[in-house]
Amino acid sequence: MSLQSSTPEALRVVNLLQERNLLPPGTVPAPTPCLPQDIQKVNCNPEVFRCTLTSIPQTQSLLNKAKLPMGLLLHPFKDLSQLPVVTSSTIVRCRSCRTYINPFVSFLDQRRWKCNLCYRINDVPEEFMYNPVSRSYGEPHKRPEVQNATIEFIAPSEYMLRPPQPAVYLFVLDVSHNAVETGYLNVFCQSLLDNISALPGDSRTKIGFITFDSTIHFYNLQEGLSQPQMLIVSDIEDVFLPTPDSLLVNLNECKELVEDLLKSLPHLFEKTMETQSALGSALQAAFKLLSPTGGRMSVFQTHLPNLGVGALQSREDPNQRASAKDIQHLSPATDFYKKLALDCSGQQVAVDLFLLSARYCDLASLGCISRYSAGSVYYYPSYHHQHNPAQVERFQKDLKRYLIRKIGFEAVMRIRCTKGLSIHTFHGNLFVRSTDLLSLPNVNPDAGFAVQMSIEENLDDMQVVSFQAALLYTSSKGERRIRVHTLCLPVVNSMSDIFSGADVQAITGLLACMAVDRSMAASLSDARDAMTNAAIDSLSSYRQSVLTIQQPGLLAPACLRLFPLYILALLKQKAFRTGTSTRLDDRVFAMYQLKYQPLAYTMLMIHPALYRVDDLTDEGALNINERTIPQPRVLQLSVEKLSREGAFLMDAGTVMYLWIGRNCNPNFLTHVLGVPNYAAVPENLYLLPELDTVESQRTKAFIGWLRDQRPFFPSLHVIRDESQLKASFMQNMIEDRTESALSYYEFLLHLQQQISK
Amino acid sequence: MILLTIIARIADGLPLAASVQEDEQSGRDLQQYQSQAKQLCRKLNAQSPARCILEAGDMYFHCLIAEDVCYLSLCEASFPKKMAFAYLEDLHTEFHYLYGKKVSTVTRPYSFIEFDTYIQKKKKTYVDNRTRRNLGSINTELQDVQKIMVANIEEVLQRGEALSGDGCLQVLSHTEVQHDAWQPPPVGVTGDRKHRKWTGAIHGLNINSHSVTKRHE
Repeated sequence: MSLQSSTPEALRVVNLLQERNLLPPGTVPAPTPCLPQDIQKVNCNPEVFRCTLTSIPQTQSLLNKAKLPMGLLLHPFKDLSQLPVVTSSTIVRCRSCRTYINPFVSFLDQRRWKCNLCYRINDVPEEFMYNPVSRSYGEPHKRPEVQNATIEFIAPSEYMLRPPQPAVYLFVLDVSHNAVETGYLNVFCQSLLDNISALPGDSRTKIGFITFDSTIHFYNLQEGLSQPQMLIVSDIEDVFLPTPDSLLVNLNECKELVEDLLKSLPHLFEKTMETQSALGSALQAAFKLLSPTGGRMSVFQTHLPNLGVGALQSREDPNQRASAKDIQHLSPATDFYKKLALDCSGQQVAVDLFLLSARYCDLASLGCISRYSAGSVYYYPSYHHQHNPAQVERFQKDLKRYLIRKIGFEAVMRIRCTKGLSIHTFHGNLFVRSTDLLSLPNVNPDAGFAVQMSIEENLDDMQVVSFQAALLYTSSKGERRIRVHTLCLPVVNSMSDIFSGADVQAITGLLACMAVDRSMAASLSDARDAMTNAAIDSLSSYRQSVLTIQQPGLLAPACLRLFPLYILALLKQKAFRTGTSTRLDDRVFAMYQLKYQPLAYTMLMIHPALYRVDDLTDEGALNINERTIPQPRVLQLSVEKLSREGAFLMDAGTVMYLWIGRNCNPNFLTHVLGVPNYAAVPENLYLLPELDTVESQRTKAFIGWLRDQRPFFPSLHVIRDESQLKASFMQNMIEDRTESALSYYEFLLHLQQQISK
Repeated sequence: MILLTIIARIADGLPLAASVQEDEQSGRDLQQYQSQAKQLCRKLNAQSPARCILEAGDMYFHCLIAEDVCYLSLCEASFPKKMAFAYLEDLHTEFHYLYGKKVSTVTRPYSFIEFDTYIQKKKKTYVDNRTRRNLGSINTELQDVQKIMVANIEEVLQRGEALSGDGCLQVLSHTEVQHDAWQPPPVGVTGDRKHRKWTGAIHGLNINSHSVTKRHE
């Protein structure tokens, strides 16, 4: 069966030099794979599993010719509102390649099924003939495993190397003078106190604390003690645990002591004058404590570790921040953190890092502790309880989410694909334990992953191929589970079909991951060139292989019309930009985020959404839970679209800016901001006042709706022209020219010139 | 030292609860023993002896079966048998009280994993030195520990034979149970130890062949 030629819209020829309005009114939707309806309707949700090319090229040479990267982007542990869970004594898997039975296998008859990854014919086990949902016999294809592309199994004991571990939470806290200055400890302790009963777990949940400065402090929380007992170890060169038990205690049984400790911790160190930070030793101690069981280590650090193992130097040269040439020190200065992360990974310990600092902390080195142990990095530059209340609010909200979100322990993930395809590079916070087994000591619902693929053998005679991601984990209640996602995509052999199936956002997301790697392995300028070339080469290929009529201009298929814009956005992104002052830690954090976040949030980071909000109406509004949510149109990121008479909201994922025009509509000022005029707009406003006006309701409904769609909390900054944050806002105006970068139009001309060569 | 404790359902070997010794010093690779324990749980059945000891390298598995549930502990050779069984009896009493009625209804492995907290506490009281000195107060029903059958675990697992309660062998009748350290009988006394142990075991044996299930990912 030959695949019907692409949807006409995807391949509509767009002359980028002429068409200005390229952005859809709302979010860019994921392309729908071109499959028969009965297959597509059971296909995996693109928010969970997505490919850069929704039509897979039949051969590697076709793929090479298209000059588009091929890879998968996954969000395997995403919070799902609906998840079918199967408890079955038999988990049906292919005898030969161990693929889990899924909606895309074929049944030869009722008793035999053919694997869609290796084509082996398997027997249908007797138990599988019975369908527990419909209580019928003889229709194995109707079982939930074959009807759902995303499903979870309760794993039998063969899937466990050891009895399921309990939830174990260890908090490692910087209590140096600097740390106390920032005031983070108060927020942390209060947040944990508020959420302590909501920590995922069961009656076995364990908790512990380590604080450190130039020495390491442990806390004996044994049941029966009248108050927590602090034990100080000053031998940081050879850290040891001062007592064998009671440093990690059962949360239920010792809750009062834990709460006592949290209430007194901020005061304990109020007067400290300790300026040194033995982070490396603290991490080693924490590892010793957690290694028998595994669990989660949450590390809070507020300045450069300067004592003992893992001590770091200040490598950043502030004069190089705006360098137009290459950026140094993107790679770790020491392998201490990576090595420790690998040790942690081996013992099922994940390390999450919260960096709250005003000065350089060498995140490029520190971040390794999370990157290889499947942890996550949180970053609050210039965190200060008084000077930066917006950061404080963000920290509080992030902490709450962090403490109570779902968590999986001692996990491994495997991604399998149809014979002929192979996976060769992995992106995300993980450790590749063997060719395709990914070690994830913790798995959390906010982590994204990506892989790159190649075609080892021609996919002849195949109409479709499949991909399956299987995540084996222990839930916080000690249940061993396997979450399986299966994606099916058509195979095509014409260049126009390949192009029409291109998923521009997935391609951008994968290129960003590849660029981060290239920046660290080679150089930033290499990475920048590679990204620009990706646009040049693919549009060049399109021109040569797909366009039948040569026209002047810079031509792209409609499905890739945003590609040059996104590439330019990446070039101007904090991670990759040159010529604009960028703090090294900020840059490194941006790189980490590009590799770690699920695609939807990465895209907001790369290409923020801009809306006019002073004239919100109910026209076209959504009605959700009896609230009316206005739906203003997404605008191009250019000052051309701003107006002095208006107010504009920029949603950049983790941060939002509400820019107020100098002659802003007075209605907006009074009814939404609660101020009489422009001059009265407060300097550091980050909360919209509670006002009983229609305009306020609308604005809050819209912002609330945007925020609700993501698990983390974007801080909001109201800015006027004089605001310090105006620069950050303006830096996101991607389409405009700056001192160090081309405008969008100039970039298009540059691409056109390169393509014509 | 009690290194591993497993509680499983006899009918199908489904693990119900478990506890693994967690501290830096353990450092041993308990992987192999866990695997053996799992396999053993599947081989035991209603005809297996209520109490037995299985030799595994330089450790011993102590096994207690009661009310369709088996309680296994892996201990160092020096750990007194009496204490091991007293420990298992204690676990049985509490476990049966809390979960006895639900045992036959569950399907998920480690459905009662929360029992781990109790197991750890109990373990501490038995391993703590003061308790060892009070051995006299331990349940006197265990006077007949000499009659507890001892076998080698590898042989039990490899031969695919279920342990049978018939023909219990008095292997240890010549050895008094010591309070502090149980010594395996010297080789000279029993001759070919392994052969002697198996003589008893072969009487009236049920030869069930169970295939060892491969570990999946």
